[in-house]
Amino acid sequence: MKYFFYIFILLGVFFACRKDKVGYKATPYILDIPSHFPDMIIPSDNPMTAEGVELGRYLFYEKKLSGNNTMSCATCHMPQNSFSDPNQYSTGIDGIQGNRQSMALINMGWEDFFFWDGRKTTLEKQILEPVINPIEMHESWKNAVAKLDQDMNYRNRFFRAFGEGGIDSLKAAKAMAQFIRTLISGQSKFDVMYKYENGMPLTSTEQSIFQTIDVEEWAGYDIFKSLDGADCFHCHNGPLMRVKKFSNNGLLPNAFNDLGRAHVTNNPEDNYKFKVPTLRNIALTAPYMHDGRFANLDEVIEHYSSGIHMSPTIDPLIEFGSQGGVQLDAQEKYLLKKFLLTLTDNNFINNPKFKDPH
Amino acid sequence: MKQLLFGILFFMFLVTSCKKDDVNPPATTYLTVEVFPMYSNLGSSSMELDSVYTTPEGYKVKFTDVKFYNSMLKNGGNNLIEASFFDFRGTGNFLLHTVGDYTKFSSLQGYIGVDSLLNHSDPSAFPNESPLNISNAGPMHWGWNPGYIFMNVEGKVDTIADGINNLDHSFSFHIGTDAYRRDFSFSNLSWIKISETERKLNLKLDLWKFLHNSASPIDLKTEFLTHTASGQQLLTEKVIANFQQSFMPQ
Repeated sequence: MKYFFYIFILLGVFFACRKDKVGYKATPYILDIPSHFPDMIIPSDNPMTAEGVELGRYLFYEKKLSGNNTMSCATCHMPQNSFSDPNQYSTGIDGIQGNRQSMALINMGWEDFFFWDGRKTTLEKQILEPVINPIEMHESWKNAVAKLDQDMNYRNRFFRAFGEGGIDSLKAAKAMAQFIRTLISGQSKFDVMYKYENGMPLTSTEQSIFQTIDVEEWAGYDIFKSLDGADCFHCHNGPLMRVKKFSNNGLLPNAFNDLGRAHVTNNPEDNYKFKVPTLRNIALTAPYMHDGRFANLDEVIEHYSSGIHMSPTIDPLIEFGSQGGVQLDAQEKYLLKKFLLTLTDNNFINNPKFKDPH
Repeated sequence: MKQLLFGILFFMFLVTSCKKDDVNPPATTYLTVEVFPMYSNLGSSSMELDSVYTTPEGYKVKFTDVKFYNSMLKNGGNNLIEASFFDFRGTGNFLLHTVGDYTKFSSLQGYIGVDSLLNHSDPSAFPNESPLNISNAGPMHWGWNPGYIFMNVEGKVDTIADGINNLDHSFSFHIGTDAYRRDFSFSNLSWIKISETERKLNLKLDLWKFLHNSASPIDLKTEFLTHTASGQQLLTEKVIANFQQSFMPQ
């Protein structure tokens, strides 16, 4: 009888100290971050998993997310254009155009603000918007989820990604955010130049690329960085080729009189300020600026050289604004463009892991 | 008897086996330092970005950005923190928050700027929470060779006496490179008690004094731009010297 007592106590000890049951675990996904990049901060409520990334890739290319099943995220963020739209304004399923250019999806995992006016502060929140926007995909998340739920393939993929049954918009956004965080570009000629000038060891592949960098590209890099040259680096520097800020870069207000950041903050000091974008893959992401007003790089360079429009909120770093710009001569413009082309990362746009899986 | 003893021992084992660790570690003290920019000709009230003030020369002026790094903050042999970053627009008055014993920091020494070794390190290799990590430094990092911008003051000024306050003239002072790193040393500091576990120190940055240093005033009409480049040494020297003298305990 006493033994029963001790057995009972032992069982009590066993259960009292036991950890909770460990359920299904998705496979952790290790991001391939270039050695000269900072860490990417992953939200604790959306850890990267192989299953989540793969589901996100399916969803990114999924046309069922649109009202008439004709548009996916990739419609306006095309891989061959470094996940941007070659059209000045993207057209939604109802034939309505927006008034801003689709931003390129490059190295988004390092961003803190999304959209040209920075109105969303996480990738997960940003992703929810285009689906329900009447001028974009124009679908309710309820309908979109119902369509996905009819597909056993998706039901299985959601389970594998999140370890539980059920599909909802938040899970869809999380999965797409995971996929977009994998869209890392860091293998351009510029990356080799950056590593070389900072004394970082080059791999054998990078050594080969290094041999192909010509004197004009190096000269263009000097003009890019020079205070007396193009002076681009104040807003486009570091391995990510941008700084985190909103800036009025001296554009004439467009026909929409788009106030940019001020739409979010309601602060007139933010009038005409827009998010500074990365220059990575810049040759692939025409047209340029928040409204796609410049069709090519020559027009962009001309803007900074002689087309600056002064206004009360112009960025103080547009230091030669009162002279109309930095006044580059023809040779300097040519060399600057040569450098900008070194930012193209063909491995990025040809990466099979980023392609349409359907 | 033996069974009773065994039972008691077993019970004691049960009581102690699942017990959590003692929950009374020594009290941790958090130290916070804040900086209050001010424009002292207005009295002691703090100043704001984007508000219009008047320069010593009578120009209308507004500041759009005030940022700086401190590094190697310590008192003698007691280290407080490796680096701290003040970004008035981004993080308000915050300069640093760390664990420490305030009684050891009645005085504080450090650099305005970034210690040379840190200044030329890989900016992506600092811990994610470090203000020196490239993700946090952003535009305050020029490149590995020049290093960080130690001090950044930007704004707009109206130097044209046309009666229209259009503030159409930009000024920007970007001071960096090892040669322009400066020391600071504060003593008799008063740490304010916030709670049993937190103390706070208030510093101030007097931007009126920055412009109106009696020995070397900055006239924004003619002295409005330095990036610490060659040919800009005179203004660079003046700007960092004035900044050093306008940074002090509150």
